[in-house]
Amino acid sequence: VAVVAAGIVSPLGFGMAETLASLREGRDCVTPVTSFAVDRCRCQTAGQVLDTRLAEANESLRHPERLHRVAQMMILALKEALAQVGDFRPELTVMGTTSGGMTFGEQYYRGLKANQPPARHAATLIANYTPQKPVMDAQEAFGITAPCQVIANACASGTNAIGHAFECVRSGRYQRILAGGYDAISELVFVGFDSLQASTPDRCRPFDSERSGMVLGEGAAILALENVESAQARGATILAEVVGYGISTDNHHLTQPNPSGSGPRQAMEGALASAGIPAGEIDYINAHGTATPFNDAAEGKAIAELFNRVPISSTKGMMGHSLGAAGAIEAIISLLALQHQVLPPNINFRQGDSELDLNIVANKAQAGRVRTALSNSFGFGGTNASVIMRTHAA
Amino acid sequence: MSLHIAGMGWVTPLGSGLEEVWNRLLNGESAVAKSISSPLGKDYPVFRAPAAATAQAPAHPRLRRSSAISRFAVVAGLAALADANVELDEKTAARTALIFAVSNGGVIYTKRFYHDIVESGAQAASPLLFPETVFNAPASHLAAILGINGASYTLVGDGAVGTLALKMAEDLMASDALDHCLVVGAEEADWLLCDAYHKWRLLRAAPPIEPFQKPARGMIVSEGAGALLLRRAGRVQVEKIAAGSNFQKQREAAACVDKVFAELCTTPPDIVCASANGTFIDEAERAASIAHCPKAKVYAVKGALGDSIGASSLWQTICAAQALIAGRLPAIQFASDGNGGLRSAIVSTCGLNQQVAGLRLTFSPLA
Repeated sequence: VAVVAAGIVSPLGFGMAETLASLREGRDCVTPVTSFAVDRCRCQTAGQVLDTRLAEANESLRHPERLHRVAQMMILALKEALAQVGDFRPELTVMGTTSGGMTFGEQYYRGLKANQPPARHAATLIANYTPQKPVMDAQEAFGITAPCQVIANACASGTNAIGHAFECVRSGRYQRILAGGYDAISELVFVGFDSLQASTPDRCRPFDSERSGMVLGEGAAILALENVESAQARGATILAEVVGYGISTDNHHLTQPNPSGSGPRQAMEGALASAGIPAGEIDYINAHGTATPFNDAAEGKAIAELFNRVPISSTKGMMGHSLGAAGAIEAIISLLALQHQVLPPNINFRQGDSELDLNIVANKAQAGRVRTALSNSFGFGGTNASVIMRTHAA
Repeated sequence: MSLHIAGMGWVTPLGSGLEEVWNRLLNGESAVAKSISSPLGKDYPVFRAPAAATAQAPAHPRLRRSSAISRFAVVAGLAALADANVELDEKTAARTALIFAVSNGGVIYTKRFYHDIVESGAQAASPLLFPETVFNAPASHLAAILGINGASYTLVGDGAVGTLALKMAEDLMASDALDHCLVVGAEEADWLLCDAYHKWRLLRAAPPIEPFQKPARGMIVSEGAGALLLRRAGRVQVEKIAAGSNFQKQREAAACVDKVFAELCTTPPDIVCASANGTFIDEAERAASIAHCPKAKVYAVKGALGDSIGASSLWQTICAAQALIAGRLPAIQFASDGNGGLRSAIVSTCGLNQQVAGLRLTFSPLA
């Protein structure tokens, strides 16, 4: 299944070129949260997409004030992707999210509690709060009417969306699908992770021995997937191929992975089997790597058992954890690794966890031979997903 | 690939037994509205699922702190498996996928969690509530209870999301790695939802819901769950699923619904199970029904059960399948000069928030 186009908006930048530059520099894009009060939270930072840039980039939209900011991110990501393949008419759109336009719901509720009309018209807030709405808005902006499946598998959503879309195309049931993910920071979700003490007052240090939790992020990323023969027949540029997908459900606990790493392991083994390749063919792993003690221990254990010191990084230290968008953003980071033969860095790394025998791409991007990359996403509810991408042999 | 309904289960405002609720619908019963009060002093009518409907929920640790939506989903899902005489063990669970459809999700806990933040600050936020606010919490609980450790997806959308979940099931079942796919849709009711639909001018002040009546006076929110167990053989076949398209403005809904009917009505169906709920949806479905299947009996179950959004299109599909099996329909809303047998049905779903889809069922009595 060919990736014929991609688009991305994240704290790392607007578009593929800015994202690549940030990865090469190992930019720390985590900044203090200012859009709501965080003074009573342990964690007070996040990877954020700048509203000023968002407004500037979307100034040509007719009524940007009616759109949720995550819908605006989706429009920009789709714009970038469609600029690469203008004639791409998807038969289906599969996207992942966890909370869509949640901040509109928050505004609505605060308006109710204050017993006064919210700043915006209530009906507009309600209509645009629904989690699927940003996809509809993005499609409308480009005249796309494809049916939408919006997956809400918590933090695995984006990878699930790409993986399911991949299977749909590979089965021959579809020729062209848009797949990806989106999420924006909201007070409810930010405080939620803080209440669980899953987020950190420190820096986000994936796989570090002194890791203490995640920071949140946001963004949108979209891949245009197409049957390889179809893409070749119309002379499309193939950026890479998606070749494998694995999904598993870890029934251990609603919010914690089984410490044995069985859930992530099953997903990665499934992806390898789906791709029909041995573990030794993986050149780079973009780990879920949230920097929570539980996630990194379970994921690291599974990776160490399956792979022989393959280069690994979690890019969440640079941009935070963008939840439903994370899998899609990290699939694009893996795509950039394949295209430019670069190993993205795992920043804020000081000392490896003695329990985990991992080959971390520590702090600085490295040049490396990357022909096949695996990207992991795991989430609440025990959802685990892995996709494998590889360079396209023309 | 042939897709069939192997088992069905539901939790509705009229109860939870498949035959019990169906017989009550055949007898012309409708749910009784209860009043739900917002703390802002406004009352709304709502169709609640009776407590007895979830009394048979298993005493599983996962359900100890779960919200109502999870209990609805679990009871309906287990009922669909029981209806199909399927007991999942480690081997069969590994060949079963779960798809959960939802629109508003665990709104009761979500509201309570955010309320604490608004009233008392972030330090008051409950770490016990937050995980239950996540859209896929009900699916996670159901998967844990059933021992499903492979594919589990939660889909979010509007009233069409159940049909989109069935479409996803069809796509998943294209793989021979699966024998069954359990599709469950659920929703719980709360004053906050009622307030939102009221401000959206979609809510009726008091029952009844009057599908296809002019003027459209609005719908009433209900709660519960619907579940379908799908496999590759059975008496009721899911012959075709139209994943449909999306509309941006209400006036565009009619064209989207018409397109779905055109795709599904290659031969005229005997029944249309419509999503009409006393809102703008009704006119779109009426026009498409008259244009594409003028002899079909048109039935809208939301008149009796209310609109539970995430569960509604699965309730419609269950009604269509039950009608094909029983050869009977509850009192229809309009149309039909045909008195023939009931062999095929269209389920039409037009959501309140942009999505349109549909499916076609056929009945093979000897299968």
